[in-house]
Amino acid sequence: MIRLRIIMLSCFISFFTINAFAQDTLKLGIPLPLTGTNAKFGEIEKKSYEIAQDEINSKGGIKGKKIVLEFEDSQGKPEISRSIVERLIDKKQPVIFGEYSSSSSKAIAAVAEERKTPYLVVTGATDDITQQNYKYVFRMNPSNAYYATGFMSFLKAVVKPKSIAILYESSDFGTSGAEDMVNQAQKDGIKVLVKEQYEKGAVDFKPILSKVKAAKPDVIYMVSYVMDAALLMRQIKELRIDTNLYAGGAAGFAIPEFIENAKEASALVVTATLWSPQVKYSGAKEFAEKYKKLYKDYPSYHGAEAYSALYIIKDVLERAKSWKPDDIRSAFKSTNLMTAFGPVKFVDKEGYTNQNFMDSIVMQVIDGKHETIWPAKYASAKYVYPIPKWKDRK
Amino acid sequence: MAQLELFIQTIISGFLLGGLYALIGLGMALIMGVMRIINLAHGDIMMIAMYIAYGLFIFLGIDPYISVFIAAPTLFLFGVGVQKYLLTPVMKVESILPHNLVIMTVGIAMVLSNLATVFFTGNYRSIPVNYASSAWYLTDIWKNSPIELSLSMPWTLSFVIAVIITIGLWIFLSKTDTGKSIRATAQDLDAALLMGVNVDRLRNLTFGLGCALVACAGCLFIPIYYLYPSLGKQFTNIGFVITVIGGMGSTNGAVIGGLILGIFESVTATYIGMGWAPVGRFAIFIAALVFLPGGVASILRRKRLGK
Repeated sequence: MIRLRIIMLSCFISFFTINAFAQDTLKLGIPLPLTGTNAKFGEIEKKSYEIAQDEINSKGGIKGKKIVLEFEDSQGKPEISRSIVERLIDKKQPVIFGEYSSSSSKAIAAVAEERKTPYLVVTGATDDITQQNYKYVFRMNPSNAYYATGFMSFLKAVVKPKSIAILYESSDFGTSGAEDMVNQAQKDGIKVLVKEQYEKGAVDFKPILSKVKAAKPDVIYMVSYVMDAALLMRQIKELRIDTNLYAGGAAGFAIPEFIENAKEASALVVTATLWSPQVKYSGAKEFAEKYKKLYKDYPSYHGAEAYSALYIIKDVLERAKSWKPDDIRSAFKSTNLMTAFGPVKFVDKEGYTNQNFMDSIVMQVIDGKHETIWPAKYASAKYVYPIPKWKDRK
Repeated sequence: MAQLELFIQTIISGFLLGGLYALIGLGMALIMGVMRIINLAHGDIMMIAMYIAYGLFIFLGIDPYISVFIAAPTLFLFGVGVQKYLLTPVMKVESILPHNLVIMTVGIAMVLSNLATVFFTGNYRSIPVNYASSAWYLTDIWKNSPIELSLSMPWTLSFVIAVIITIGLWIFLSKTDTGKSIRATAQDLDAALLMGVNVDRLRNLTFGLGCALVACAGCLFIPIYYLYPSLGKQFTNIGFVITVIGGMGSTNGAVIGGLILGIFESVTATYIGMGWAPVGRFAIFIAALVFLPGGVASILRRKRLGK
């Protein structure tokens, strides 16, 4: 009996101490897809949030409160994300952030606006999330239509092409990427000479590449996953198709496997991307290295977004006059923060409300490595242009 | 001039691709001839051979072209085993479905691709050989050539080896006793049985040979392509189409069928659009079934009888 009493007593004591301790912590619930098809990205984001949590807590937390992150599995389903967020708002969490996919982010945005709780979109990229005049929804990542802005400004400033050939895989991802490029090109007066789709997994690209060669475009732009990207560049080298620039639309061209597989054919290929581990934003490299040390791999841009999101939350909560929704909202409005993901500022323009506009970055394969070359002030290396003809390369 | 260059380059790539396709089709046609079934595990057996070549390169540094001599015998034994312990027993079982052998091959295909996913994960892999994008150029040989043509080194090498293997198979089938028995069984099973051909043994041999041929094709594809566990289906389809164009079970037909398909795909890609290549492939498949049910083989046979 005595033993039982002791156990009960200790239970009581620990209950009270935890409660007392709880006053110095700030619990933040984050909806994320931890199972289901998007689980891989949910995992990357979770790890990145945790790195940021440890860093912030070791420096004293937010206004003296230690952060305790609680990850809630949304399974990538919008209706589950929605109910998670309803619950968090009921629990009086001052600010909501997180989720991976566009559809889940959109569902949360609607709830947040309805319940007047500020919501920070971290990765959802569909244009219309911030095009609905929501007052309480803020987005740190550029919307889909702005993914290629950095690349376009590089084209305009350095390459000045008159014509372009676009090759893309026949999937949603490929088609939308190609459509965006066609629109951008038309806006800038660049003639689209060839626009060809291919079936993912094709063996021989030489027929369409010969066609591209005959059309003599200034730039070849490709939207592909990694293996097709490597085969395309290898066969471009084989056919000695000389243009002013070989460019890829993120995805397959932006990861190290592309260089491993295409080898010397990957040299000087340029690709658009949102973020890279060696971009010169303060903290970017440190975060990437820390992540690599812990998980043996560099994080994708999703990781950088999640990592920076927690810093934005910290910044906002520290500047807000009180943690009432409207004070937090005005703190969001006046954000001007440099994060590992890039500069963050929420502005209203071009039909968007509370949207962060930033130049996406451009990388080039230089000496067998991806280097950030654009925008110039964040570059890790000077771009190589003009590029030599295939014949003159070793 | 540019148009001429485009056309010749298209035909060259079509021809090279066709040669490799033919090797895939050959194995399938051989099995089809003797067994009277479509081997729907064909592409997955090719995938296994590719992983063998990949492993040999990564761990022992063996060039994929040399792996042909290791992967082909391995898969030959594998094929004999499959026939002996999986297909022959199924053949002897009475069932409502006439083609439970075909269903068996589908099962084998699924097992193989799932096993590969377990062992090698779903990641894409490739062998980074140094000569992957080397090529010969017309202007290097003939300085003032008005047009520029290129001939990829690994493609050409793969093509030449495929041709050598095809010729080897042809000699085997037409000059040796075993080869002749295989052809005899393909032409008339009952007659072959009456002539004292050990059909069971021959089936083992044929299935093994078919697997070995597609294993060669796998090794030849590696320097120019990449590999992942579910790549089999795509090549099974190609093999199937070639077998139908060539005329079910005819090896000569399969070679011509492969070349036709390769050139057809290239020309479609250049002049219609590469997105149409898979559509074109099945259009030619249906056309062959409707207008030329016997395939290329029926034309070959007619010519021979006409003489």
